[in-house]
Amino acid sequence: MARNSWSRYSNRTFYLFVSPWVLGFLLLTAVPLGYAFGVSLTNFDGSSPRWRWVGFRNYVELFGDAEAWHAMLRTIAYAAIAVPLSVAGALGLAVLLNRRLIAVGLWRTIFFLPSVVPVVAMAIMWKLVLNRDAGIANAILHVVGIKPIAWLVDPMAFYALIILTLWGLGGGMVIMLAALQGVPTELEEAAVVDGANRWRVFRHITVPMISPVIFFQVVTGVIATLQIVVQPLLLAETNSISGVGQVPQSTHLYMVQVYQEFFTSNRFGYGSAMLWVYFLVILAFTLLIQRSSRSWVHYQVDTESDR
Amino acid sequence: MHVRRPAPTGVHRVSSRKPRLSAGAVYVLLMALAVLFVGPFVWLLLAALKTRDEWAAVPTHILPRQAQWENFTHALTDINFPAYAVNSLFLSTMYAVLVTASSAVVGFGFARLRGSGKRGLFLVLLSTMMLPQILTLLPTYVLFSRLGLVNTYWPWVLWGVASSPYLIFLFRQFFAAIPSELEDAAIIDGCGWGRIFVRIFLPLSRPVLLTSFLLSFVWTWGDYIAPALLLDVDHTTLSVAITAWYRDPHGNAIPTVQAAAAALYVLPALLIFLFAQRYFIRSIVSSGVKG
Repeated sequence: MARNSWSRYSNRTFYLFVSPWVLGFLLLTAVPLGYAFGVSLTNFDGSSPRWRWVGFRNYVELFGDAEAWHAMLRTIAYAAIAVPLSVAGALGLAVLLNRRLIAVGLWRTIFFLPSVVPVVAMAIMWKLVLNRDAGIANAILHVVGIKPIAWLVDPMAFYALIILTLWGLGGGMVIMLAALQGVPTELEEAAVVDGANRWRVFRHITVPMISPVIFFQVVTGVIATLQIVVQPLLLAETNSISGVGQVPQSTHLYMVQVYQEFFTSNRFGYGSAMLWVYFLVILAFTLLIQRSSRSWVHYQVDTESDR
Repeated sequence: MHVRRPAPTGVHRVSSRKPRLSAGAVYVLLMALAVLFVGPFVWLLLAALKTRDEWAAVPTHILPRQAQWENFTHALTDINFPAYAVNSLFLSTMYAVLVTASSAVVGFGFARLRGSGKRGLFLVLLSTMMLPQILTLLPTYVLFSRLGLVNTYWPWVLWGVASSPYLIFLFRQFFAAIPSELEDAAIIDGCGWGRIFVRIFLPLSRPVLLTSFLLSFVWTWGDYIAPALLLDVDHTTLSVAITAWYRDPHGNAIPTVQAAAAALYVLPALLIFLFAQRYFIRSIVSSGVKG
């Protein structure tokens, strides 16, 4: 009897403690997503009360919307370039720093620092660096005899965006570094004794040992790059949400397109349909990576801590 | 007969393994990379110290002839910089306090309490960490504007109280590692979970509380899209204000003054980071290694 009331007390207490998150999740995530789905079935323009249901017409239109598809492909291309480069770059830097070095803390700080710079400051800095006439990037290129490059317009804006993304790879580096330090040295030493060279040790022992961390980096990297919208807006010549039309074609990513539908065309219904389709696309990507992970991610022990 | 052959290649292998990348080469490589990573900061500061003509000069002037400190004065006075800084500071602090408190509570629940359906809920929590925030932001904005919450700070109060999956996870990992003898003794003494949490667990978690506070502070300080959508000219934050509002009478951006403003804006984030580097790194590592 006593045990029963204790467990009821505990059950209630558990729900009391987690209620901020449960309520928050319902009201600020589930409800908006559901609301977006509802709006996606209408021709709501954001203000006028005279909207009506249009069924799945927005989705049908989206299916034939060449601009949206191009934006989607561009975003996937961007992710396909930026994610592998930043994961590989983070791993490479971590390997470089995972050795005896003078002032190892200082090096780590230098590479990590950019990843804590707010996106607004990041955009301002890179606009100054990549400025066609006055930027330092073209000044350096000029020294080696390369003509000024217009970094912030088509077609180079795409690469400028990738540079900006790579500049912030320090967060990933820190995670990789911690993972590398968790690899038992006996394993690597044993392989070296057996005659494996440095690269083979890295490829066949170190990388498999840290593959769960690499996997995590790939997943979060894909999700982060697919939802990028602020960087293209801020790198563009005018930078405000209403100036979304001025974003160069090459950085006109999917979410930029969504913003344009919302705030330039006032097509809230159509924009919401785009959001929902994107939600499903991202979900599909995440599941795809998850599935592929079975073949290359090695978990040493089942770390299911169950309390 | 088995004669153990001396490994002829062994000696050779050892010697070829050693000079993979000499120490000098490593430092040269690191130095080159460091220039790329630090360069934008330096260039920002240099731009902030130039006159407008000097900034636009062709060929490019690397160093300003004379440091133009008045760019910083302009950055502070051309727009109402102090007011926006206060908005940013207020919003970031309020959100950080609320979200840290609520995430600690929820994290404790997931780490120490038993309830039916806990496993399922925790899975939902983990998958929301993967949910792109941007997808919910637009419909949230539409809902908030219909509820009349635009141009108020209520959205941040709600987001704060709602806790953050990422921080919940951080607290949960910390609380789960604490041995259970502590709470067993308290339960025998007749303590309720509320008091166990406040009296025993909260004081132990000071480093995590600080980590959570600093992280969430920097998130809000650096956030652009939410204030840009939800707040008007009077209520908005520094991040929105410095992007577009330094203009000359012709409507052209003034890069030198904007650079000075950006330097002033980024400074608190960098200082917090330098002061609390190990907390940041710990939180990032704990989120990344467990996945």
